[in-house]
Amino acid sequence: MIDELLFFMEVLVGGLLAGTMYSLVALGFVLIFKASATFNFSQGAMVFFSVLAFCGFMQDFNIPFVLAFILAAFLMVIVGLCTERLVLRPLMNASEDTVLMATIGLGYVLEGLAQAAWGVEVRRLDLGIGDFPVPWIADNLKLFISALDITAGLVAAIMIIGLFLLFKYTKIGLGLRAVADDAGAASSIGIPLKHIMLLVWSAAGVVALVAGMMWGARAGVQFALVDLALKALPVLIIGGFSSIPGAIVGGLIIGATEKILEVYIGPFFGGAIEGWAPYVLAIFFLLYRPEGLFGEKIIRRV
Amino acid sequence: MNNNSANILDIKNIEVTYDDVILALHDVSLKVPKGKVVALLGANGAGKSTTLKAVSTMLASERGKVTKGSIDYDGNSIQKQNPSQMVGLGMVQVLEGRRCFGHLTVEENIISGAYSRKLSKGDIDQELEKIYGYFLRLKERRKSQAAFTSGGEQQMIAVARAMMAKPKMLLLDEPTMGLAPQLVAEIFNIVKELNQKEGVSILLAEQNTNIALKNSDYGYIIETGKVMLEGSAESLLNNDKVKELYLGISKKGRKNFRDVLKEENLNKRSN
Repeated sequence: MIDELLFFMEVLVGGLLAGTMYSLVALGFVLIFKASATFNFSQGAMVFFSVLAFCGFMQDFNIPFVLAFILAAFLMVIVGLCTERLVLRPLMNASEDTVLMATIGLGYVLEGLAQAAWGVEVRRLDLGIGDFPVPWIADNLKLFISALDITAGLVAAIMIIGLFLLFKYTKIGLGLRAVADDAGAASSIGIPLKHIMLLVWSAAGVVALVAGMMWGARAGVQFALVDLALKALPVLIIGGFSSIPGAIVGGLIIGATEKILEVYIGPFFGGAIEGWAPYVLAIFFLLYRPEGLFGEKIIRRV
Repeated sequence: MNNNSANILDIKNIEVTYDDVILALHDVSLKVPKGKVVALLGANGAGKSTTLKAVSTMLASERGKVTKGSIDYDGNSIQKQNPSQMVGLGMVQVLEGRRCFGHLTVEENIISGAYSRKLSKGDIDQELEKIYGYFLRLKERRKSQAAFTSGGEQQMIAVARAMMAKPKMLLLDEPTMGLAPQLVAEIFNIVKELNQKEGVSILLAEQNTNIALKNSDYGYIIETGKVMLEGSAESLLNNDKVKELYLGISKKGRKNFRDVLKEENLNKRSN
């Protein structure tokens, strides 16, 4: 009995922590969705682009870890700058659908650039944190929990707190929330849209870098990272596209349910239900709570 | 009115087109003297909003362009400016339909108006208090989400937010749309007060001709993108044609100035 409970706890905790990895990816989407009401299809490519550049700096140029991180983050700011200048500004008056299509194109450009610059082979990323159970926790709590999962959880927590403080208590955060509500009205009182867009895309780029480092350490830095974007979709549907806490909770829910379902229900389906179970969950949310758990309801006065 | 420096805004014969084909304004000229309230009157689609957006340079974001004529604000052409630069120069537009930031609190909405100014936390609090002095209702509701406030309160938020930018000139686009008469009066009282105490010049687009003229110094009436009539607010209020066409004291079936002109031409010919 105790053993079963421990096993369940292990699955649950492992799932929750793995979920924070999804949350990290979803965060990048939320940032951009808030500011431009667009699902950024290039977010997956940004993850790939940023972490591949990070690996390239470290492995090809022997730049130390911290400096390589700063360089990669800086590179993502430049990507944000170029995106604002070359893609978003010319499309300023275009519909949201047009911008959506543009992000798909942007994704291909980033994928191509990344592979042209750093090559196509899978790279190993060693963060110095092993993807194996932490002995101390295994000894004392009898739970086998990966050190990488715990690190991802901590990193996600730090990023969320940071973003929350940025949005709630800074001037540019207020500007961002104003733009998210009504970009036209924001510009009528002198909030410069281009600064806000630059901020958001740069922040999304840095978030992509961090997410990419976590995933790269686990699965190798490779083209498949682009498809991470698809894993973030059910997370966003459950959490709400415009909510940062939603991205976190959505990630946790997806992480936990997919692991629990895999372990307890999976055998009845012949296993490997991890791949599609989150989407089933997402469909239920779309049917019964389309704005997600934390999404901003469209407020209508009656 | 001929002395240029006395006018904060001077629009000369502008023509505005949307999407390069739709002609929205044919020929609009108007002046706003410093410290005065000028009303821009006309029916739906007459070109009131377009005129205001031409001034605030917000036209560009709606694919509109000033194709002829000139607009001078405070003695300088606004041709190369963008909306946030205009706000920096002290020209703020309060858009039609209030457009509050629904998910922000009332207070956050108002503070957002100061975005273009470099103010310390203490300065902002001081400005806030001053503005709450004009909008007492908003102070009570400072912590509510703006989307849940009433239409009148939202209009006040929009004006208060604009005032936070410390404007020299306000462009108000139909501030009384859809509001109960009592609130209309309240809004106009505040506008009047802002004009007198803060010295803000105001260009006001309204359909509510009567109350707009009663609270203005000067008025222009536009129809299908053309200024049809202008004069002091008093003279317009007493003008028979204005009474008939815009104040609902009607005789016969004439609907607008074009009909009036046609009729007058016919009379001239038959005479």
